[in-house]
Formats: sequence, structure tokens, C-alpha cells
Amino acid sequence: MFNNSNILEPLFWIIMGGLYTVFIIGLAMWLKDMKVKMNWWKWSLTLLWFILLSITVAGGFTLIGENELRAGLLFMAVPGAVIIVAGVALGRFLLRNTNEEKDN
Amino acid sequence: MDKINRRKFIKSAGLAGGALSLAGVAGAGYSAGADKDSFTGYGRTAYGEDQFFNRKPFLVDKPTYVQEGEPVRITSIEDIFKRNGELSRLMFSRNGDQPAWKPSDGLDALPGYLRAYYQANPGAFDEFIKAMQKGREQRTNWDKYRDKYFIADAWSNAHSSPIRGRSSFPAEPQGKPEESDFRGVNKKRLKLKSPRHGSELLKKICYSFGASLAGIAKVKKEWVYQGSLRGIGRVDYEVPSHWKYAVVIAVPHEWDSMYANPTYGTSYDAYSKLRFIAGKMEVFIKELGYSARPHVPPTSYDLVMPPLAIDAGMGEQGRNGILITPELGANTRLAAITTDMPLEPDKPIDIGVSKFCKKCRICAEECPGGAISFKDTPGEVIRGYRRWKIDQNKCFTVWNSVATSHARGCRVCLSVCPYSRKNNWIHNFAREADPRDPTGLLASGLLAMQKKFFTYPGGQEYLPPPDGNNRTFGEAPGWLRTEEWFDL
Repeated sequence: MFNNSNILEPLFWIIMGGLYTVFIIGLAMWLKDMKVKMNWWKWSLTLLWFILLSITVAGGFTLIGENELRAGLLFMAVPGAVIIVAGVALGRFLLRNTNEEKDN
Repeated sequence: MDKINRRKFIKSAGLAGGALSLAGVAGAGYSAGADKDSFTGYGRTAYGEDQFFNRKPFLVDKPTYVQEGEPVRITSIEDIFKRNGELSRLMFSRNGDQPAWKPSDGLDALPGYLRAYYQANPGAFDEFIKAMQKGREQRTNWDKYRDKYFIADAWSNAHSSPIRGRSSFPAEPQGKPEESDFRGVNKKRLKLKSPRHGSELLKKICYSFGASLAGIAKVKKEWVYQGSLRGIGRVDYEVPSHWKYAVVIAVPHEWDSMYANPTYGTSYDAYSKLRFIAGKMEVFIKELGYSARPHVPPTSYDLVMPPLAIDAGMGEQGRNGILITPELGANTRLAAITTDMPLEPDKPIDIGVSKFCKKCRICAEECPGGAISFKDTPGEVIRGYRRWKIDQNKCFTVWNSVATSHARGCRVCLSVCPYSRKNNWIHNFAREADPRDPTGLLASGLLAMQKKFFTYPGGQEYLPPPDGNNRTFGEAPGWLRTEEWFDL
């Protein structure tokens, strides 16, 4: 982000690490409140999905930074659409048991 | 109450953290893409850090070019620039003499060796006449474009200045190689610890002089031109026995101007850098007590560079006939120094370029002259090696047509090559993952994205009007755009 600054660049990644940690802690609370029972592979799938989303966003903006606006937008739109659909499917899957409990 | 608030706060912070982290990776990605420091090469470090790709997993015993039959040395007039050099000497008077030949005299009036070449290559002479005509049109039209490309032209002329005339560096060899290559060699020679030490030392010195890539190859006689030798002139000769090894060096063109070719810049930026590096290497090797002879662009070569560089493990040959390296892609310009210093040659590499080029064809689709083959596989055996044939005559015609001044600038096949990309995470993923994928599926997927997502102007568009619109693959950088600095 701040490639030419050896102060801001490490600081940026430290803050990014903090933001991801806050996100994961917050997500855990959301899931707990929604009574979603998580185990290791559900967590792995969830985090993998978020990493893929992050990579897609980063990839798209990398191409935009290279002056390839169309390529960047398409990079986010095409794989991004697949990831969003996968995310919705994953969300429904994770929430399935809680909905069943509510129905009962 | 406090507990609930804290919980709500953490949940809200989690949402905000997720959104901010996505914004953060977007910013980091943009920065990685826009960063000029992620352009690799051009002597950015003195320690070889530009040669960042780990070649070890891809080392092979035999180079990836395919030998079929007996190799034959290339005659110098098979090379278009050497052939045109011969024609130029006939067409333009020296010291006020009458020109010895003009195109209207026709083929029959040419010296036997040139006539023989054109008779053996039907169409080449007509293409040469067309190139001359295009050159005249280009000179007539140059006034229309001069102001727009004023800075680019000045920049190119500055780069070509050390190459012109008798004071160019390095000096052209004079006399037999057995004399000129040993001229100035230090009589005191220390005992080299081993050939491996010799190779490592020379590569480090190349980097310290500004080379982006360096490799060592054994000189094969089929890479040595026949029929003309610098310092002697037209002569058939055996490869000198002291041309044992070649130190091959590479630098890229300045990336922004390369992407904005053919109009914003020419090849001379890389050429002049290579000449300085190779010339200094000649002096350095002679100071160590060994013979040295630099082979430098644009035309001062006694050896063909791309196969030599392949032998030196620097890369592979692409469909466009150009050396493609992992770090610089096709934006690789080459020079070499032949020497008798004991060296350990590097091993060639196989990073899957030849397989990728079979699928890609972007350079063929974008070539303004239609000089690059569309064939699925390398279709012709040329001097004992199977490869894609480049129509150098058509290439030269375009080179003579584009909107630059005397120093022509078409390098479209370098800029559109998917290997010619930055040293950042997204391209490095492709660089590292593609050669490790035995199925080729990743390459196909990446290529599909390359073709569908990126904008390519299309072959003719790179030419000046009326044939095209002076388009470029990449946008010209601000520092090369006249309108940013001068009132037009």
C-alpha cells in the first residue's frame, strides 16, 4: 500500500492483521448469537471463502492499478460473481440447522 | 447492560473490520499494480536481484528448442538488418561517390550473393521495395506527428546517440578476432579457483554494471554467423577457437514506453544500456587476462542471440521468435561477450513457454505486419531447428511505417506477450503456478482471462493513418507525452 515508506508499509499490514482479527472475533459472535454450530471444517470453509473474496478484490484492483480498468472490473465481476454465489450457498448451508431448529 | 453493549460493539466492529479489510486489500492491490518499482529489470539492483525467478526446479539437460537434422550456420545476409546494411552500402554514396545500386536497377544488378538470396526467397525483394516506399511515406508524414511525439523522439534520439558514429562504445573490432579480441589483454593473470568461480564472478560483475539477467553458455558453432565477420568484412570463416564461452546479458526496455510502442519510444534505450554493460565487460575480462569480444545491438553481432540465451538458461523462444524469460517476458534485449576464460555454463530451463505459445497466438493476432505465424505448432525446420517462422521482411516493412522519426519503434509483439508483466503478486502467481501445472489447465484459464478481459487494439490499429490510428497497447506515460509539458 505504501511501497516507498518503510514506516507506513509495515504499519499498514499490522493494522490489516488487526482488522482481520476483529472481523473473525465479530463473526464468531454473530454466528454464536444466531446459534450456528461451527466446527473446524465449517470455519475453514468460511475463512477460505473470505480469503478468496479478498484475493478477488485485490486482484481486480491490482489490474486497475496497472491501468487495465476493464480487466480489473471483469476480474472482480466474473470470479467475484462465482464467489458471491458460493458465499450465499455457504451461508444457507451454515444457517440450515438453525432454521430447522426454529421450525421445530 | 454493559455486557450486551460490549457484545454489540464487538459484533459491529467485526462487520466494520470485514469491510475495512476488504477496502485494505483493494488499496494494497491497487498500489501493487500502480507501483513503478514492480517493473523488473533495467539494472534496478547491482546484485542480480532482478533475476528473481528460482530456475532450479525448471533446469533441464537439453534446451527446449527442437533439433531436426544437421544444424547449419546462418549466413549474415539471412539477417534482415545485416542484409539491409549491405544494400544500404550500395544505395547510399560514401565520400560523394555515385551509389552502386538503386532499387529501380532491379534484382539483376545486385551483387551475386544478394541476388542469390532474393532468388532463393521469392517475395523478399518486393517486400523490401515496399518497405522503402513505406519509409518514404513515413518521412513525409512525420511532420504531422512530430509535435505529438516530440518528447518520445527526443528521448529515443538521446538513447541512440552513443550508438552512432565512430566514437560509439564499445568500439567495433578491427582485424582478425585472434588479434582484436586479445588487444589490451592484461599479461598478468591470476589462477582462477574454478570455472564455477569464473561464472559466478562474471555474472556478479554484469549485475554491478546494470544487467538485469546474466547467464553463461558454451558457444555452439551453429549460433555463429557465416559469410561476414566484424573487423574483417565479407568472409567465410571457421569459428575462432577462443570463442569458447559466451556471457549473455539481458535488460528490458523501459516498461512504460515499451507498452506505449510503436509511437512512444524505440528500442534504443535498451540497446544503449546493453552496449555500455557489454563494453565494460569486455574491458573487465581483458583486465583479468582473457580474450573478450562484445556482441551488441543493434547489429554488431557475430552470433545469434536468442538460442545462445536459451543455452544460458535465461529463458525459451516464443512464437514471436524472441527470447521469453520468466522475469522480463518478451521484453528482453540481449548482448553477449565471447571469451576464452574458463567458465561453467548454466543449464537451460523449461518453464513451459513453447507449450503456452502453442495456445496463445496473441502476438500473431496483434502483429501489425502479419509477420508472426498462426500455426498450431512450429511448422518449419530452419537451419536444422524446428520453429515458428517470423517473416522478417514483413516485420521490417511495419518497422519502417510507424510514426517515429529515424529510429523505428515497433515492439508490439513484446508488449502484448502475457509473459511481459510486472513483478507483483498477481503475475508472480501465474509465473510460479503455470510451469508447475502438468495439466495445462491453469495456463488455459489464465489465457482465456487474458484474451477476454484485456483490451487489444488489433494489428492494423498500431499503424499511422490511413492504415491505422497510431494506437498503442498501453497508455503513454505522462513523462513521454508532449502535451503534459509543452503548449501545443
